[in-house]
Formats: sequence, structure tokens, C-alpha cells
Amino acid sequence: MSDISSIEELKKLNSIDDLKKLYWSLFEKIKNDDKPQLVICSGTACHASGTQEIIRGMKKYIIEKSLQNKMALKITGCHGFCEMGPFILTKPGDAFYHKVTLDAIPKIIEATIEGKLVEELLYRDPKTGEIYYKQHDIPFFKKQQRTILAKNQNIDPIRIVDYFTNFGYKSLEKVLSSMEPKQIIEQVKTSGIRGRGGAGFPTGIKWEYLSKQPNDKGKYLICNADEGDPGAYMDRSVLEGNPHSIIEGMLIGAFATGATHGVVYVRNEYPLAIKHLTIALRQAKDIGLLGENILGTKFNFDIKIVRGAGAFVCGEETALIKSVEGKMGEPRQRPPYPVEKGVYGKPTAINNVETWANIPIIIEIGGAEYAKIGTKNSTGTKIFSLVGKIKNTGLVEIPMGTTIKELVYDIGGGAPEDFKIKAVQSGGPSGGCIPVSLFDLPIDFEKLSEAGSIMGSGGMIVMDERTCMVDVARYFMNFLKSESCGKCFTCRKGTQRMFEILDDITKGKGTLEQLDLLEELALVVKDTTMCGLGQTAANPVLSTLRYFRDEYIDHIKNKHCTAGVCKDIVGAPCQATCPIGTEAWRYIAHIARGEYEEAYIALREANPFPSVCARVCSHPCEKMCRAGVLTGEPVAIRALKRFITDMIEPSVYKPVRKVKDNAGDNKVAVIGAGPAGLTAAHKLSLMGYKVTVFEKDSEAGGMLISGIPEYRLPRKILKEEIKELIDENITLKCNTALGRDITIDNLLNNGFKAIFLGMGAHKSKLLNIEGEDLEGVFPAIEFLKSFNIEGKKLAHGKVGVIGGGDSAIDAARVALRQKDVESVTIFYRRTRNEMPALQHEIDAALDEGIELQTLVSPVKINSENGKLTGVEFIKNMLGDVDASGRRNPQPVKGTEFFAGLDNLIVTIGDTPDVGYISYMGIEVNKWGTLIVNQETLETNRAGVFAGGDVVTGPNTVIEAIAAGKKAAIMINRFLNGEELSKPLEKKMPAIYIEPMVTVDTGEEELKRIKLPTISVDKRRSSLEEVEQTLSEESAVYEASRCMRCDLDFTYAEKIKREQAEFMGDIMQNKSVPEGEVLV
Amino acid sequence: MNDDAVLKIVEKHNSEGDGIISILEDIQSKYSYLPENALKTVAEKTGKSLVDIYGVATFYRYFSLKPKGKHLINCCLGTACHVRGGQTIADEFQKQLKISPGDTTSDREFTFETVNCLGACALGPVTVVDGHYFSKVKTTKVKQILDEARKGLDAIKVEGDKRIFPVEVSCTKCNHTLMDREVLIDEFPSIRLTISFKDKHGSLRLSSMYGSYNIVCEHQLPDEATVNFFCPHCHAELKSHTICPECGEHMIPLMLKGGGIVQVCPKRGCKGHLLDLF
Repeated sequence: MSDISSIEELKKLNSIDDLKKLYWSLFEKIKNDDKPQLVICSGTACHASGTQEIIRGMKKYIIEKSLQNKMALKITGCHGFCEMGPFILTKPGDAFYHKVTLDAIPKIIEATIEGKLVEELLYRDPKTGEIYYKQHDIPFFKKQQRTILAKNQNIDPIRIVDYFTNFGYKSLEKVLSSMEPKQIIEQVKTSGIRGRGGAGFPTGIKWEYLSKQPNDKGKYLICNADEGDPGAYMDRSVLEGNPHSIIEGMLIGAFATGATHGVVYVRNEYPLAIKHLTIALRQAKDIGLLGENILGTKFNFDIKIVRGAGAFVCGEETALIKSVEGKMGEPRQRPPYPVEKGVYGKPTAINNVETWANIPIIIEIGGAEYAKIGTKNSTGTKIFSLVGKIKNTGLVEIPMGTTIKELVYDIGGGAPEDFKIKAVQSGGPSGGCIPVSLFDLPIDFEKLSEAGSIMGSGGMIVMDERTCMVDVARYFMNFLKSESCGKCFTCRKGTQRMFEILDDITKGKGTLEQLDLLEELALVVKDTTMCGLGQTAANPVLSTLRYFRDEYIDHIKNKHCTAGVCKDIVGAPCQATCPIGTEAWRYIAHIARGEYEEAYIALREANPFPSVCARVCSHPCEKMCRAGVLTGEPVAIRALKRFITDMIEPSVYKPVRKVKDNAGDNKVAVIGAGPAGLTAAHKLSLMGYKVTVFEKDSEAGGMLISGIPEYRLPRKILKEEIKELIDENITLKCNTALGRDITIDNLLNNGFKAIFLGMGAHKSKLLNIEGEDLEGVFPAIEFLKSFNIEGKKLAHGKVGVIGGGDSAIDAARVALRQKDVESVTIFYRRTRNEMPALQHEIDAALDEGIELQTLVSPVKINSENGKLTGVEFIKNMLGDVDASGRRNPQPVKGTEFFAGLDNLIVTIGDTPDVGYISYMGIEVNKWGTLIVNQETLETNRAGVFAGGDVVTGPNTVIEAIAAGKKAAIMINRFLNGEELSKPLEKKMPAIYIEPMVTVDTGEEELKRIKLPTISVDKRRSSLEEVEQTLSEESAVYEASRCMRCDLDFTYAEKIKREQAEFMGDIMQNKSVPEGEVLV
Repeated sequence: MNDDAVLKIVEKHNSEGDGIISILEDIQSKYSYLPENALKTVAEKTGKSLVDIYGVATFYRYFSLKPKGKHLINCCLGTACHVRGGQTIADEFQKQLKISPGDTTSDREFTFETVNCLGACALGPVTVVDGHYFSKVKTTKVKQILDEARKGLDAIKVEGDKRIFPVEVSCTKCNHTLMDREVLIDEFPSIRLTISFKDKHGSLRLSSMYGSYNIVCEHQLPDEATVNFFCPHCHAELKSHTICPECGEHMIPLMLKGGGIVQVCPKRGCKGHLLDLF
């Protein structure tokens, strides 16, 4: 198209023929235009990602290099893949460049002119690295059916010409030239389309009512663009990106129903949408598509914009009508329905933006064809805004009936990090939460409402394990209580009271009785309010109560928020997540100040194994660290712990002892000198008890010594830490096994008043396939133990390891360090993302040259003369997502292959080796672990407690230490005759440590420190520790990145205390009795 | 406060049959809040009681009865932003500014507000400052955002700003160059045009830097005055069919050397402009 024509006036269209001629002339103009084109998304989300700068940069480059005749630019509305913005699409070719930066502009432009691609900027699969050359091949787009959204990428929304060249107003031409109003309504009815605003009333029927109203006073059509539902923004994107489609839809509606006045009621928060719509209305009016005698057909219709001023209730139709009239948006009783008495008392039909956008499509393809899309009762496509804790956030258009699973995992790409998806919330404040177990649900109006939610306008907010469902309910209730118009008493007061109860629960002040009251209130509000807001206000509460009652109870009974969200009961997330309640923030604050001894004391107070945990802890604290949640860079807490334990002598810490008078009478036996047993013994000793620890092996340490290899945990350090713990109250008896040398009964008969069972899980599980008893095949424990304790090097040649957990990595890395080993390969049945081992351990293994083969399962072990020759594997593909949110591996027929191996190590899990225990009267479950009361750790025998791996199966060191601590508290209670099930005291941040003033780093992001390690070539030949300690400078830097979540509590406490002191009223320091504090 | 301005707004909406909301919206966008006197004027002129006006003004979240600061911060607390830590961001703003939502700092620099949803859900948590969107905001970024706002987010430095570049233009009617190498603006040749407004005529020079709003004119141009532009060579009026996306005036088209059209708004003070490369 020539330059000048764009600024010339398009002649006013006086007839349908004029319109037809315009199409001809426009198509004639663009026919010969074959310049390559770059399409840039300029929706609001991309604006936020900096698309404006990119557009300017491109224009600048094109002008500077005088490339105007070689290529064209098109600025459009939202394409939907907002996560990847700013992005650019090439025409022809449909290549999709994502996250474009200013530096990339010259490359993109030059390549486009030469007809080439810039491969490095193309979208890649984040997991497989596969490059996608075309937009529609990208998984995010592939499963969508973008009948409405796809139009956005062809149209510059402020140019009516673009709409025409994309066959815009063709449907209007069709109805004006060849259809009767009745026929239009019939088509819309046949299409089965239901209102996209949420309630799903059939549009055709609404129009039919309106068309039958007397026409003497004028009728209104309203486009509801008051997208008040937080989390939904598809209406905004359609209005911004394709405003003429709404105008065309409304024109067709007006012609069908006889309406003469149109109103678009749009939120004031959407400035760009208002701007584009204003321009579009003016263009349509100028060209003669709005106003009097449209296209010479005597059809009159005009549209004006009314801006909403921010009131959620105005999404309700009767409130919206009041607001259009300029009044307070309070709903009124129906009937009369708006279709009889609407704006200024005149018949009015209100439809949502997305509904209007569908109308031209229905006319174009016909109602019957449209009805084929979607399900029987929910036809067509629906746009969802897929947002929250999901990888591919953006706008997604899918046929109704698509399952939530497809939406979340196939299109959305699943969870963004290592976190599991827990639920989706649909329908905004009027909707509900649907748990992951129901993700097979097809999305349609009925199915969603059966599940306790609603379709709503299409918000789909994905929530993961870091989202607290009680907090979500509280959030919505807070929203609803302030948005309730106040007309109905039950809504006004009910939402207020529900909010107060929810607020109490999130603050740890709730009671179980309140939970019943909450449910009752929710039902009353639902039943006794007038408008949609009140009637659905209970949904967020009822649906979370229905699916996540456990979380409510956890908040009330245990004052515990697993997601780490509810500040008042979480305190500092690092402390709250640590199974033993280590005040990580406290030692980190001391490190930042250079107070290393104080840091060690803070650390050691909670943890009897600081040096061990500094090396091998699974650090759940880092997963919940608020710096990580908010900036993606959690503080390297374990590395800081390591720094402190390497720097400070353990003797700095002087444990507080509380000697009992009757200590001698109360002897306690601990079975197993692993982390659980030794922690229990140590804690009991501090309380004054005499403890005897019986250990089956020749040395104390349990799994720490037999399972964890020296290069991760040097023996010297482990032995010193254990030595520190064994004091004069503790007697260690090695080479003494329960079931062989002693029994529970004879311990109880010999003066022991209580027993703690902490034997661990020392027997490897089997694959249960033929050949596991062959020479050269080892269970993981046997292999690791014989190396770690006896120094035997069992492996040689080609070694295979089956499994994906920590012991698989340990076994592989140990094998690699044995001198006759040629190569080591780990075989795992899912993908690397699903491997349960610690990420940095997997990285280290790969660095050292260990191979990883994923998506394979063993079928058969092959042998010759009783000796292993190799394993036959079958390849897997990832199938459906199970309830845990992981995809299940499914074998693919005919993909069997053989791997020649000299050794095979099987590491698919361990169980306790306690075949004798049931003969001693202790109950065992079907997995071979001991049955205990979860709250008290007591077994079915009074006075006999158990904890650690023997109860949980193989678990982390920190969980074992936590079990040992808890067992000590319970044994103390038992021996004092106290009630065992009394809840444990919960410790909140209390000690104020003055924060260091941080240096202003300006735009620099504060990156997480990387741990130093020894070089890879050094590792193969020695057992030297791989991870090294941080330098002081690095440690102080890392510590200063802590967000100091404790200050909300400690600083407030400090101020309170200082005020109290000032008033001369020195508060008594109420401390919890020693031995009562667990977390 | 200028009572005339309020009267004008009321008259405009009364004649179009609009309701109170539209009137109050315009008053608010003019003064950034609803002054008491303005509400009284509205009541008087529309014949409604002050109570009704007050009712509407307090029912909707958008309206404010308190004056606002120089910079407006809007922190989104929509659901998507909430699950990504929006509240923590709001808390951080409050901490740094030492005010609660809806309040203005004592130096009148900042007003802090929270909003139910800004519709940029994919990139939460989102904060809008003076119309500029900040996406995926982190608590560590808050201070930086405030600093940038203090400096002025719209401020464009002609020197060293990569977004600014010079253009060469000619008349869309006669194709004669409009560049004036004698008079430099922003150190580049200026664009010379002839203007007329009210009963005045003369010449006006625009900066040729795309992104700079600097002009040199022999007349004092009052704010919001709309001026007619002509080619100094062929004397044809330069008026395009395109309307300014900001204010709705017909724009001045200028042809770019090498292809393309630049259009600027003829209204004094309006920053509407378009640059099309087809």
C-alpha cells in the first residue's frame, strides 16, 4: 500500500455496494505487496515488558539504514503469550522471536530482509531444547483454537483499514444485505453460544426477548467491559487488540433486536482499551458504519463509551445499568429483567466483550457450524487467562470441554520451578478452587459448577504448594467485603464476619468451632442475598473448605501454614520450614555483622549436628526462603551454615544442662546410633537422664557413616561431631543389635524406663525382576556400606545404577571413585526434572562424567554362567499427570534395548531391616515400617517410642534429627507422667539483631552465591571433600541478601519492650521450660 | 481551582446526557481528586442534591476526596498478583513511603494506592507508576522504582537517550523538503512549517529528533491551542485524516525520507504522535 493512502480520508460508505467496492480496492492494493513484515505485540502486558522501547529501536534502525522499502512493521494488540514478551512474529514464515532485547534488533531486521532466521532467538522447549520454527508449533499455541485471539496478530487496532483487509465488517455486510433479524437470532440460537461473562445465559434467547419488546421508546445494547474479576484480562485484550470486532458484533446485535443505542461500559483501569475503542468508534462513525442510515439501509445505531469507576458489583447487570445512568451501582431486585426495563427504563440486553466478539464469527460460519465446536451444552471456544504459578502465563483460547489438565500442563507447561501445582482458581471472587485431583474435569459451564466453582469471565489462577488456601479464601473475602454494595444485610455483614474468621485463622487465633460457624455463614449468605455477588460470595470459602479442610485444621490446631504464607504464624519461613526450627535468619544476621561465634551458638542451639547438616542437609529452608519466592534467588543457607561450622570451634557452645534429682531411677535405652538416636540421647542427657545407646555396627553414625560417602561428609568431621555429643550421661554400646543381643522386654526388665527405637532403614528394596541375585548385582546399601565402612571396591568395568534418588547419585559417584571402573551410567524412569535427588548433587555427578539415561526402565537382567552381562531396558514416555502432579512413565512397546554392564547397583529405596520387631510386640505396617502415633511417636507399647527412617522409610537427615528431638520431649513427658498429646510450643522469632545498613546497589540484581568446589579431575582419584567453604567476603555478601523476615516480629517486640522499660514496667521474661521447644 | 473548568465539564456532559460519574471522572482527571467546591458546583448545575453526588463519589474506588501527590503509585492486588507476592510488594512500598494505601506523603511527592486488578496478570506482581507499568516487581526493586519516579518517568534526555533519533521529512503534498539547516534544535536541523491560529500567522520549527517535543516559534502558543499547519513551499494545509490517539485532533502528516509517515498532533501540549513504516 502506498504511504499516502493511509492518511487520506476513506470515503464515507453510503451503500452496501460502497463497502464491497472498498474491499476490492483494498485487496487490489495489498495484492502486490510482498515485503516481509515484522509483527510486534503491543498489548498491555508487552508494554510492561518493554515493547515500546523495542518498537522505537526498530523504527530507528529502519530509518537510519533506509530500509523502508525492504520491509514493513506492524504494531498489534495482544497475541496471548504474555510470559514471552516482548515478542516479534515474522510474516511470512510465522517465526516467533521471544524476549527480544534492543541488542537483537539489527540481527532480526537484517535476517528478515535476507529471508533468514535468527535461530538463537527462536522459542525453544525449556526442557528438551528443541527449536520451534513456527509460532503454531509451539506447545503453548498448538493445542489452542484461537478463533478470536488469532485475529489480534493481523490487525493494527488503531487502523480500520487493517480490519477491512482481514474481512472485517463482512458479517455486517452479510446480515444487512441478505438476512432478516429473525434469521440472525435463529443463527445465534442454533450456535448455542452462552454469555461469556460468567453466568452462561444463552445469548440467542436474550436477543429474542429483546427483539419482542415494543420498539417505540428505543432499546439499548450494552457491552460489559467492566472486567472486575481480578486475574482475568481477556476482555481487555480483545478491546485493545480488535475493537472493531466488538463494534461489528454490536451492530449485528442491534440489527437483529432493533436496538438503537449502544453502550460500552469499560473500566477506567484500562486506559489503552479506552483509547483504542475511542479511535475505532470515531473511525466507524466517520466512514458511515455507525449513526443514522447505516450503508443506506435506514438502520440506525450508535455506540458511546461509559467509563466505570472501579466497583466490582457493577459487573452485575442491574448494578451496571445504574452505573451507566451515572448513579451508585447498587443492584436491584429482578424481575423486571433488564430486557424489559433496563437503562433509563428502556429494554436492554447486556453481553460481555467476548460474547460480542463471537457474533461476527457465528454469522460468518453459521450457527450450526459454530455449535460443532466445544461440547453439547457449552459451545464455542473460551478465552482463559492462565496466570499465577505457571510456566507459560498468558491468554489461552480453547474449545469448551478441554480438560483442566490439558490447559495447565500441555498449554501452560506446568509449574514454573520445582514446586507442585495444587489447584486452579476459576471464576474470580465468585468462583472456587479446583484441586489437582480433579484436573481431568472438562471445562464447561456445568462441570465447573458441579465442582463448586464457576466459569466466570475466564480467570484461571494456578496455585502451587507455596499458595496457602486459607489465605486465598481470606484474600477473596477481603475483596468481597469491600466490594459488597451493602444493600443486603447478609452480604454486608456476612462477608465482613467471614473475613474476620478467616483473618483469625490465618493469624493462628481460630478455633474449630469457628470453622463450623464459617461454613454456616457461607451458606446463609449464599441463600439470602439478592444479587450474584452475594449469592456466589461463599464460593471461595465453601470450595476451599471442601477440598482443603486439612489446611484450615493445620492452621487452627498446629498454628502451622505449610505454604509459608500466613505471616503471623509462619514468622520467618526459614525457621518455620526447618523441621527442627533452626533460626536460620538469626545466624545469618550475625554473619552479616561479622559475629561468627554468636552465629554458631544460634545454629548449635537448634541442631546437634551442625557440621553434618552444613554438608548434607536437604535444606527445605531454602525452598521457602522469601528472597527465593520473591526474587528467584534464595539465600544459600546451607553454605552459610558450612561457613560458620568451619570457622568456629564447637567448644564455643556450652549446652544448658538441667540435672534431675531422680535421674538415676530413669534410665532410657536408645536403639541405633544414627542421627535420630544420637539426637534423642543428647537431648535426654541435657535433661539429666542416663541414656544407653545400643548400636548394631562397630561404629556410631548410622546412615551418616554407612550411607553418605566421605567426599560429601569427611569422616573426621563426622566422628568429632559425634564425640562432642557423647557425654558422661550417655553410654555407647556398639556391636549390640536388637533382636540378636537384646530384646525390648529384657531392656524393660533391666531398669530401662523408656526406649527409643531408631534403627533406620538399612535394607534395599528389590526390583523384583529375574537375576537380582546374580554376581555383580548389588543393592545400594550393601555397595555403599562395604565401601564407606570397610573400604571395599566392589565395582569394575561398566557400571549401571538404577534409580534417581540421593542414594543413586551417591552410589554412582562412589563407583566412579573406584579404580577399576571404566564408566558409570544412571538409568532413571522419568526425566531429570522428576529426579528426587538434590539438584546440585545431580549436577556434580554429571560434571564428574557420569552419564544419565532418563525415561528407561529395566525389563530383564542378562547373565552368562551366573555372571551379569547387562540389562535389557525399555524406553518410557511421560504419560498422564498423577495426583502428585508428576507425569507417570509409560513403557513404549518395541523400544527395548540392551546395555552391556559389568556391575549393576539397584537404588530404588530402602526399608527397615527389622524382621524381628513384630515378635517383640511392636506393630509394623505393610511397607515394613513401624507404626507410631504421629503426634507422640509412641508405638503400640507404652514407653516404647520410635522415629527416623525406621518409621518414615528413607528420609532426610534433618527429619531424623527432628524425630530424635521430638522423641526426647515425649519420653520426658512420659517419665514425668504428663499428657503426651499436649501440643508442642511453637517458637517465633524473638531475638532482635540490628540489621546492617545495606549498600545501595542500584540496578544490580543481588545474585545467589555459587559454592566453591574442587576441580573435576581431582575428584576421580580421591575422596577429598568436593564442596569447599565460602570465603568470609562471600559469606558476608550472601548473608546480607537475607530479607530479614524476622524483623516484623523482633523489631516490633523490641519497640514494645523499650516502651515498657521506659514506662518503668520491666516485663517479665517468660521463657518456655527447657526441653519443651521443638520448633 | 478554576470554577470555569468545572462548569465547562458539567455543561459538556449535560448536553450529551451523561450521568454524574462521567462528570466526576473528568473533574478527577483534571485535579487528580474531587475538590469540595467542585462537587458543590456539580450539585448546583445538575440539580441533584449534594448527598447524591457524595454518594457516587464515595461508592466508586476510582474517586478520591483527598488531593493526590505528584506521583501516583498503583500496586495491583489482583488474584494473580496476590499469589505471586503482591501484598509483600505493597507492604514494601508502604514501609518505604511510610504511608498507608490511599494516603499521600507529607512532602506531596507520592500517593500510594492499591487496585483490585490492572489486567496485566501474566506478569504479576504489577505496579503502575504515573502510567508506567512495572512487571514482576521484587521487593528489592521498590526503592529503585521510587527513585526513578522522582526523576520523572516521562523525562527524555535528548542527549544519550537511545530512544531518540533524528528524522528527515518533506511535505506530503509537494514533496519539498521541510528541513531547515539554518536553525538547529537539539543540535540537529529543524523542521520548518507555517502556522496560523486565531488571527496570527507565522512560522514554527519543530525538533527533528523523534521523541523530542522542543519547538521554536515566533508567537507565544497558549496551552491546548490547536494550530493549523501549512507547507511553507506549496502552502497546502497539512492535515491528515488520522486522528490523534491522545486527544482526537486531526494530525499533521510529514513524509519521511526513504518512506513512511510521521504524524504529530497540532494541539499545544499534546504528545500524540505516530510513526508509520509500511
